[in-house]
Amino acid sequence: MSEPINILMVDDQPAKLLSYEAILGELGENLLKAMSGREALEQLLKNDVAVVLMDVSMPDLDGFQLADMIREHPRFHKTAIIFISAVHLTDLDRVKGYQRGALDYISVPVVPELLRAKVSVFAELHRKTRQLEKLNRDLELRVTQRTEELRASESQFRTLANSIPQLAWIADSHGSVFWYNQRWYDYTGTNLEGVQGKGWLKMIHPEHVSRVVAEIERSWESGNPWEDTFPLKGQDGGYRWFLSRAIPIHETNGQIVRWFGTNTDITEQKLVQQRLYESEQRFRTMADQAPVMIWIAGLDKLRTYFNKPWLDFTGRTLEQELGNGWMENLHPDDIERYMDTYNTAFNDRRPFSADYRLRRADGEYRWVLSKAVPLLGPDQAFLGFICSCMDMTERKLTEEALVKSEKLAAMGRLAGIIAHEINNPLEAISNAFYLLRRHPSLDAEAQFCASLAEQELARMAHITKQTLSFYRESQQPVAVSISDLLDSVLELQSRRIKTNRIALEKRYKNHATIRGFPVELKQVFLNLISNSIQAMPEGGRLRVRVDERTEEKARRRGVRVSVCDTGSGIDPQYAKRIFEPFFTTKDTKGTGLGLWISRGIIQKYEGSIQFRSMRLANSNVTCFSVFIPGLSSPHSMELRASLAAS
Amino acid sequence: MPQDKPAILCVDDEENPLILRRLVLENAGYEVVTASSAEQAFAVLSTRHIDLVLSDHLMPGPTGTELARQIKAVWPSLPVILLSGVNDIPVEAHCADLFLSKVEGPATLCESIAEVLADHESRRKQDSLPI
Repeated sequence: MSEPINILMVDDQPAKLLSYEAILGELGENLLKAMSGREALEQLLKNDVAVVLMDVSMPDLDGFQLADMIREHPRFHKTAIIFISAVHLTDLDRVKGYQRGALDYISVPVVPELLRAKVSVFAELHRKTRQLEKLNRDLELRVTQRTEELRASESQFRTLANSIPQLAWIADSHGSVFWYNQRWYDYTGTNLEGVQGKGWLKMIHPEHVSRVVAEIERSWESGNPWEDTFPLKGQDGGYRWFLSRAIPIHETNGQIVRWFGTNTDITEQKLVQQRLYESEQRFRTMADQAPVMIWIAGLDKLRTYFNKPWLDFTGRTLEQELGNGWMENLHPDDIERYMDTYNTAFNDRRPFSADYRLRRADGEYRWVLSKAVPLLGPDQAFLGFICSCMDMTERKLTEEALVKSEKLAAMGRLAGIIAHEINNPLEAISNAFYLLRRHPSLDAEAQFCASLAEQELARMAHITKQTLSFYRESQQPVAVSISDLLDSVLELQSRRIKTNRIALEKRYKNHATIRGFPVELKQVFLNLISNSIQAMPEGGRLRVRVDERTEEKARRRGVRVSVCDTGSGIDPQYAKRIFEPFFTTKDTKGTGLGLWISRGIIQKYEGSIQFRSMRLANSNVTCFSVFIPGLSSPHSMELRASLAAS
Repeated sequence: MPQDKPAILCVDDEENPLILRRLVLENAGYEVVTASSAEQAFAVLSTRHIDLVLSDHLMPGPTGTELARQIKAVWPSLPVILLSGVNDIPVEAHCADLFLSKVEGPATLCESIAEVLADHESRRKQDSLPI
C-alpha cells in the first residue's frame, strides 16, 4: 500500500464529520477535520491535501465561498473538492462554474458507497499526479546532473586534448569536425570557422588529398578506425609529415556519437628514416661497386649480408649464402681453421684476417684473403663483423713469380760478380802454371808440383764454368755428343761417386749427336746426376742410359737419356712441385733452381723431362728421363769427326 | 823464319793477366804485341801488321766487343777473338770470330787461336783463287 494521502472533511456539525469519518475510514487514508472555513484553510496550508470534502451550507462561510478562496491560491488550483449538498439547479450551475478544476458533488442524503468511490477516485488521481510529479522532478534532477557531468567530462577531455603534443579534433558521427585543440590552431594558423566540418581537408598536401578523403570516408561509413600518413600545411606555408588517426566513440548502445582524431608530427622520424634509407642505399651501392667481396655478420655469427661481387664470385643467390649457407663453398680442409679464427674473433670482438679457399662459380677453389672489423652501434655496442675479401690467387702467383724472378736476377748478378772476380785471376794463375810446368829450369819434383797445381786449377775452372755460367758458350748450335757429354759430367762427379760408394752403370746404346749448346746440356745432366748422388749418401746404384727413341705422340725421333738411382726417392706430395723454381728438399744447401733450369733448357730443345719414383720393399728407384728430339745420324757425326781430324 | 810467326795483338786492362797471356802465346810460337786499352790497340793496328787480335771483353772505356766491331769496320778480314771472365754474352759478341771463356785454360786458348787462324788462312786462299 502506497503512502496515505490527506483527506480534509469540512462541516460545522460534528456528527456529520463523524459519519464521514466512519464512511471513509476504511479507505485507510489520513482524515483531517475542520469545523469552519477558517479551520479548513489552516489545515490546507499545513498539509498536502488531496481531496477536500465540504458541506455547502455552513454558518459563517458557505462551501462555495470557501472553494473560491481555495481556488484563488495557486497552490490549490488543482485540489479536488467534493461538495455535499441537497441538489438544486442553481447549485449545480455553480458547481459547473468551477469545472476547470476537479470538482464534484454529492447530494444528500449521502450514500456511503458513492462517497467512498468518489473520494477514492480523487485520492488515486492525486496519488498518481504526485508520483508523476516526483518522477518528473527525479528526471529533471538526473538530466541536470548528467548535463553537469557531461560538461565536466567534455571540458576535462578538451583540457586533456589541449595538453597532448599531437594535433587533436572531434567530429560528429558523420565526420564533421566541430572542435580542434589549441595545437591544431597553433600549427595551421586557422580558426574554427575556417576549418570546421570538412574544412581541415584544405590543409592536406594536394598530392595526398584524394587518397586521404577516400580512406577517411570509408571509415566514417564502416565505423572502423582510420589511419594515414600525409603532410599537413603549417601556418608558415611549409608542410610537415603527420601520422593521422581517428577512432570512433560509441554510446552504450553501440552507436557512434563522436570521432576522436589526432595528427602526430613524424617529420623528424620521416627524415631519420629517409637518411637511414639513403645511407643504406649509399652503402649498398658502394658495396656492390667495390672491387672486393663484402659480408656482414650479426651477433649470432650468422651472415646477414653479401654484396654483389661476392654473389657474382660464388654464383649463388643471397638467400643461399645467408646464415651459414656460404660455408657450402668453403674448402673442407679450411673449415676448421677458419671457424677457429672466426669464433675467437667473435669472442674477442677484435679485427681479424684470415685466408681460405672459396669455390668460385666455375667450381675452382680460389685463395681468398679476408679482413674483418667489428661493427659498432651508435653507443659503441658490438653488433657483429663487416668483412672485405679479395681473391688472392692471381696476386699470390704474381708475387711468387716476382720473388722468383728477383731471386733469379739477384743470383745472376751475384754469379756475374763472382765469375769476374774469380775467373780473371784464375786465368792468370792457370797461365802462370802452364808456363811454369814447361819451364826448362824446373827439376822433376818442381815440375810434378806445378802439374798438380795445374790439375787443381783445372778443377776449379771446371767448377766455376759449371756453376757460374748460365750462358751459351757460342751463338750457333754445334753437334754435341750426348755420350761424351755424360762422360765428362760423370768424370766431374767421379770423386763423389767414389766417396759415396756408389756403383755406376753406364749403358750407352747410342752415340748420336744432337745440335745444341754443350754447356747448357751439360748443366742438365750435371743436375740430374748430382741430385742422384746426393740422394745416396750411404751408397747405392747409379745407372745412366742413352738410347734412341721415337716419341709416340709427335712421332719424332730423338735421344733419350735416363738417370736412375736407388736413393731416398721423391716424396709423392712433392711430385708436382719439384720442377717449380726455388723448390728444394735440400734446405739451404740447394738453390731450388736445378730442375727448373733443366726443364727450361730441355723445353727450349722442344724436348721433355719426366721422372718416376717407385717405393719398393727394400729400396726406392727414382728415374729421370730426358728426351731431346732432332737426332743426327751417326754417319753425319762420323763425317764431322773425320772433317775435324783432317 | 821470323816473318812466318803470326803476330797477335793482345789487349787487356789488367797488367798481370796480360803479361802471362803474352808469355803463353809467345811460348806457343806467336809474336805478341800488347795494348792496355781499345784506343792503344787501334794505335798499334794503324802502325803495323797484325794477324789476329785477342782482347778481353770487359775493360774501362770501349769494351772488347766495341773494339771488335770497330776493327771489323776497318779491317773486315782481321780475325778477332774475345775473352771473357763474366757469364753474360754481350749482344754484339758476333762481331768477333770467337767468344771464349777465360777459364777454358791456356791449351784451349792456343788451340782456338790456331783454328781461327787456319780457318782464316783457308778462306783467304779460296778468295784469292782465280775463277
